[in-house]
Amino acid sequence: MTGVSSHTRRHGGLRFVLPGSLLAAAALGTLTLFFPGAGADGQTVSARVSHTSVPPKACGTVNLKGVSATPDSGNPFTSKNLTCRDGQIVSYGDSAITYTNPPSAYVAAGRQLFAQTCSSCHGNEANGVAPDGRASIGPNMQGVGAATVFFWVSTGRMPAADIKAVEAERRPTRLTTKDALELAAYVNSLDPAVPAVPTPNLSGADLSVGSDLFSLDCAACHTITGAGDALAFNTNAPSIQNRTVTAQQVAAAMRIGPANMPRFSGNLSDAQVRDVVAYVTEQIQHPANPGGAGLGGVGPVAEGFVALLIGVGGLALICFWIGERS
Amino acid sequence: MSAAPARTKRNAKAAQGPFGRVGNVVNELDDRLGVAKGGRVFLDKIFPDHWSFMLGEISLYSFVVIMVTGVFLSLYFVPSTNAVIYHGSYAPLRGQTMSEAYESTVRISLNVRGGLLVRQMHHWAADIFTGSIVVHMARIFFTGAFRKPRELNWTIGIIMLILAIFEGFIGYSLPDDLISGTGLRIGYSIAESIPVVGSYLTTFLWGGTFPGDIIIPRFYIIHVLIIPLILAGLIATHLGLLVRQKHTQFKGEGRTENNVVGSPMFPTFMAKTTGFLFMVAAASALLGAFAQINPIWQFGSYDPSKISYAVQPDWYMGWLDGALRIMPSWEFAGFGHTIPLEVFLPAVVFPGLIFNICFLWPALERRMTGDVALHNLLDRPRDRPKRTAAGASLFALLFTLFAASSTDVLANYFHVSLNVVLWFFRFATVIVPIIVAFVTYQLCVEMQGVHGIGKRKRALIVHRSSAGEYSTVTSDLRPDDERTELHPEPVPVRIDIEPLRAGSSAASESSPTGVRQVNR
Amino acid sequence: MSDSDHQASRTRVPMPIATLNDPHMGDAAKNPGRIEVLVALIFVVAIIALAGFGAAYWQNWSPWIIGGTMGAGLFLLGFGLTAWGKYLMPQGPFVEERHVLASSADERDSLAAALVERSAVVVKRRRVLGGLFALGSGIFGIVALFPLLRSLGPVPGNSFEVTDWRKGSLLVDSNGRPVHKDTMVPGGILTVYPKGQEANPSGQATDQTVLIRVQRTDFTTRPGRESWAPEGYVAYSKVCTHLGCPVGLYEQQLELLVCPCHQSMFNVRNGAQPQFGPAPRPLPQLPLAINSGGYLVAQGGYDQAVGPGFWERTTR
Repeated sequence: MTGVSSHTRRHGGLRFVLPGSLLAAAALGTLTLFFPGAGADGQTVSARVSHTSVPPKACGTVNLKGVSATPDSGNPFTSKNLTCRDGQIVSYGDSAITYTNPPSAYVAAGRQLFAQTCSSCHGNEANGVAPDGRASIGPNMQGVGAATVFFWVSTGRMPAADIKAVEAERRPTRLTTKDALELAAYVNSLDPAVPAVPTPNLSGADLSVGSDLFSLDCAACHTITGAGDALAFNTNAPSIQNRTVTAQQVAAAMRIGPANMPRFSGNLSDAQVRDVVAYVTEQIQHPANPGGAGLGGVGPVAEGFVALLIGVGGLALICFWIGERS
Repeated sequence: MSAAPARTKRNAKAAQGPFGRVGNVVNELDDRLGVAKGGRVFLDKIFPDHWSFMLGEISLYSFVVIMVTGVFLSLYFVPSTNAVIYHGSYAPLRGQTMSEAYESTVRISLNVRGGLLVRQMHHWAADIFTGSIVVHMARIFFTGAFRKPRELNWTIGIIMLILAIFEGFIGYSLPDDLISGTGLRIGYSIAESIPVVGSYLTTFLWGGTFPGDIIIPRFYIIHVLIIPLILAGLIATHLGLLVRQKHTQFKGEGRTENNVVGSPMFPTFMAKTTGFLFMVAAASALLGAFAQINPIWQFGSYDPSKISYAVQPDWYMGWLDGALRIMPSWEFAGFGHTIPLEVFLPAVVFPGLIFNICFLWPALERRMTGDVALHNLLDRPRDRPKRTAAGASLFALLFTLFAASSTDVLANYFHVSLNVVLWFFRFATVIVPIIVAFVTYQLCVEMQGVHGIGKRKRALIVHRSSAGEYSTVTSDLRPDDERTELHPEPVPVRIDIEPLRAGSSAASESSPTGVRQVNR
Repeated sequence: MSDSDHQASRTRVPMPIATLNDPHMGDAAKNPGRIEVLVALIFVVAIIALAGFGAAYWQNWSPWIIGGTMGAGLFLLGFGLTAWGKYLMPQGPFVEERHVLASSADERDSLAAALVERSAVVVKRRRVLGGLFALGSGIFGIVALFPLLRSLGPVPGNSFEVTDWRKGSLLVDSNGRPVHKDTMVPGGILTVYPKGQEANPSGQATDQTVLIRVQRTDFTTRPGRESWAPEGYVAYSKVCTHLGCPVGLYEQQLELLVCPCHQSMFNVRNGAQPQFGPAPRPLPQLPLAINSGGYLVAQGGYDQAVGPGFWERTTR
């Protein structure tokens, strides 16, 4: 055994050098997040994006196209709560939003469900290639991330009702939330990507920040009351007053930018996204409307009709009663 | 020398004339003001009874409601753009910076007792006010009531319509919320687009570039003082002319160019019109209670970089918004200057044209028909097909433009492409008025040829005799129709109505005026 | 007929009397007792409603109760009073003669004569005098108007032409945070201002800019703008060239900026050229650069006036 122990003694330190230096690099890299760096105009900024952090090996390779590298923006590798297992990201995020990938046990069921429901449009391998080698009707789903699949399926937009429609509409879904997660698990397994399925933590939300950001970023398409409206060329912004819209779906939509909706990645932090979600699910979907009937939240168009038809019309009918008719 | 009689109750009562306390009051007033003679004439003033003559009253009484509710609001509203931080009861706004104008409006809506109700009543009454002005104006137009001698009243009416539209726009811009602020930005750009003077006009009015901090206080004083004063004066003139020239009336039994037939001012018309005032106020109150309008707390304070979709203006500006949407993007730029025709034409030239046509219409009609006579009898619209067709066509144009302002709402509702809807309205704005003009003209001409048109038909009651023979009997006139076929009588001195009590003798000489002599 | 004649004729009309079968009385007055009870009942319910209104206000119940009771009470009061007037008061039809509006020819002539002849006094040049007076009054009116108009606000100057964007201006969002080039992924949009203007309403109004990341690599919107869109970031003025609304509506797949007010549509790829709708000109593009720290800055200001057109605007 002396050979073994001498071997151990000779290479004992080296065994720790590589992981040790990696750890040191990771630590240093993390530390750079907190050092003020040369930002703009020579003034300091509180955090600097780290480009040197290396994804831990336990998380496998992850397609990062869908997120920005800034902290708190839904990037798993800037999150303090990143957990990985078996070469897969399990969850990450912060106190505002937790992003979770569906359990890997769902992949098998998801594969079967995909083959039944989705492959006819998206190709057998979800890569947008039909069996005959030409482009399939649906786009390439590889590398879109679990949140994307979850959003499109759980809102009923997929499976598509009308493949010729410019934009798939929300509709009551035949597939359950579990089905959506299974499909997400399977598609994600083909090319693991982010964002994962977000679950916002609405306690501690700041409604004021939410309403401010909503009016700046969301109202231009969804209207200030969230009623939704028609956009250019047969596209539309759906109503988010609809109470079947869940907090997860709102958060997912903001992070992935489905269809024509812009993608809010680093331009909004997790806390800001959470605040907007809280505003939508509380105020937009349950407006207090102390003034009476909301008239659809469409504004002066509906109000004008009511004033003219019911107000002036009703009073004209009363004139009709009071006065003569010939 | 005899002592003056003691002032006992009995003496006091005896000292009253045959008309009791009322007579005393009349005497005292007349001693000071000489009102008895005019008052008696006033009480006998006759008002024609047709229902369409009451449409102007809707405007008048909704104006009263606006004034009363407006006073309430002015006691709480702060017309200032100073920035404050909200610490009130509406959580989504807490901590946000906003103008005092917006903050005070949120406070009125959510914290002042009855504030939201009064604010909503004010806004609903304003929409009803402008709506009823348009409806009333339509009645005047289609019946030819604007002809000599009433051209001045017509002109005053159009001025009041323009003032009402501005007043409404300024009024809902006062709270400085996101949606009305957007409207102000658009108004700024429209003023900017006027050639030569546009940029000066905007910086003068706004005290600089947009948004500035003087526009809200300026609008406030225009809204609560300047325009209401002008409107009050114009309304007084409008009604005064109406009293002086007397109301017009439709043709009918006993009605001529030289008389007015209807019910007397006192007590009938006063009762009906006061009752109607209450009902207009009630309409405003019920709408304000049950239908939410302009929920500014949901919109947030105005921020020049924020915007909402579906931001149509209030309905009476809708026709302008529609015109702005459908206008092609023609802009003239040359010789070192720019004239944004895509703004200037639909938002400045077009409304100017429409209102000028309205102002000039009496003169235009005089010239086209050569009719310069005085008219106190009204036309049936069908009797003047060209005028009716022209008016219907103009209304169709304005309505199409109003519909064009809701292109996005329509596209969303009907699931049609927004672009297609817009192109549809570009064509519809030209085609619909033309079709309406032709159809209306034809309708009028054909209606003129129908005998007994417009009169309610009298039913034929079919009798079957025991032998099986059928015969018909024309039914009686209905009471309302009956009344218009009676011959009108001058107003009597005394009007007493006492129902027959059972058993009492009826000194019944049939009289046409429906009054009964009271024997004291 | 003069007024006094009228009155004499009125008082001379004999007191008319009627039976209840008289058509002028109307159906309702034949059984006035019933109508009276009905009207009384209506008034009673109105009183109850108005009492409810008082209670609702005192107890601060919700607006719809306060308004509903007030509205119901007012409506019933009005309805009752109108019904009283319509069914229980004399309807007529009564007739009133119109006075002839016009005065007699003599009266007209005397007025015209007074106007003409009294002013035709000795002076021969009354037209000149009158004209001078009118001119003076008119000049006073115009001159007096100027201080009022001129003092309302400043002359526009070049305030419509310039923004606060300069060479090196740092792009910040509405919270004042600078924008790093890694902030957005393709398809993202952010409203930015030059540093210092994000909380100033005037600055917000003219300087507001949309920053869109179209792709990850440089691209060119129009010839001559090769360096303006580094790493796929492109910036346009947010002030619509139609009427100045913020063009905040971005459709990322269509790569279209749509103005929410009147639906002008601008193509983000080719320099925000208007593709549809009433906007006449493209949105001015802000040339971007990335500084040494990786943050987005402007290469300079806009090359033209932002926003809607106005008379003095010269650049195309």
